[in-house]
Amino acid sequence: MKTHRFSEESEDHGIDLAPMLDFVLNLLIFFIITTSFIKESGVTVVKPDASTAEHRESGNILVAIRENGEIWMDRRRIDMREVRTVIERLHIERPDDTVVIVADKSSHAQILAEVMDNVRSGGITDISVAAAPAGG
Amino acid sequence: MRMRRHNSGAHDSSHGIDLAPMLDFVLNLLIFFIITAIFVKEFGLEVDRPTSFESSNSEGKSIQIQILDTGEIFIDNRVVDVRAVRANVERMKALAPDSAVVIFADNDAQTGVIVGVVDQIRMAGVYDITFTTSG
Repeated sequence: MKTHRFSEESEDHGIDLAPMLDFVLNLLIFFIITTSFIKESGVTVVKPDASTAEHRESGNILVAIRENGEIWMDRRRIDMREVRTVIERLHIERPDDTVVIVADKSSHAQILAEVMDNVRSGGITDISVAAAPAGG
Repeated sequence: MRMRRHNSGAHDSSHGIDLAPMLDFVLNLLIFFIITAIFVKEFGLEVDRPTSFESSNSEGKSIQIQILDTGEIFIDNRVVDVRAVRANVERMKALAPDSAVVIFADNDAQTGVIVGVVDQIRMAGVYDITFTTSG
């Protein structure tokens, strides 16, 4: 007992950091992988309910359409004519991004259609319309 | 001579690489990623827009649904309630199994109504939904 303690003490001074380092590196890798760099729109809108809404795994460019027809992307208000150029720029940065249009319940269909067309001409064809899953 | 003595001294005091700076760096990285991680869960419905080729209606078979600015829904020139869209689409799907659905919405129709109709169509089992607007 006595000899064992003595030999341990002489071998390494302080705590062994290796297991902690392993753990921290694993955590780090987990967070790097799960980070998805979502481009948030910057406004909150009332989403329509839909019971068949499915989770969009890779939907990471959010375009919000407010009740009064304002379009918000990347935390600022943009004009309808800007949508295409902004989408083109984001598409070049990360080519596998998809777009989720978060349209307010009482926004008009014409604006939704125009935004969808502009996103498509910007190069991203995978577009979905956001909805709140009804009934949990 | 002095160099060698210094070397041997360093060798005595620490065995292997000093991990502390690396550990500091890794912990900083970890904190950065924890803070920037956003767990946004966005739920959505996939809706197509007609391309210029499709708009000539070459396929022929399609279920057509009109939505007015008042929120009224028309299928086959009949006014249909939102909750009845599913039954109607199911019936028409039974007659023509691989038909797509085209929604003609008025420019001022509300998104909520459109999403409700799309939801009903998806519940009926049709996922090929195209959405057009007309003034």
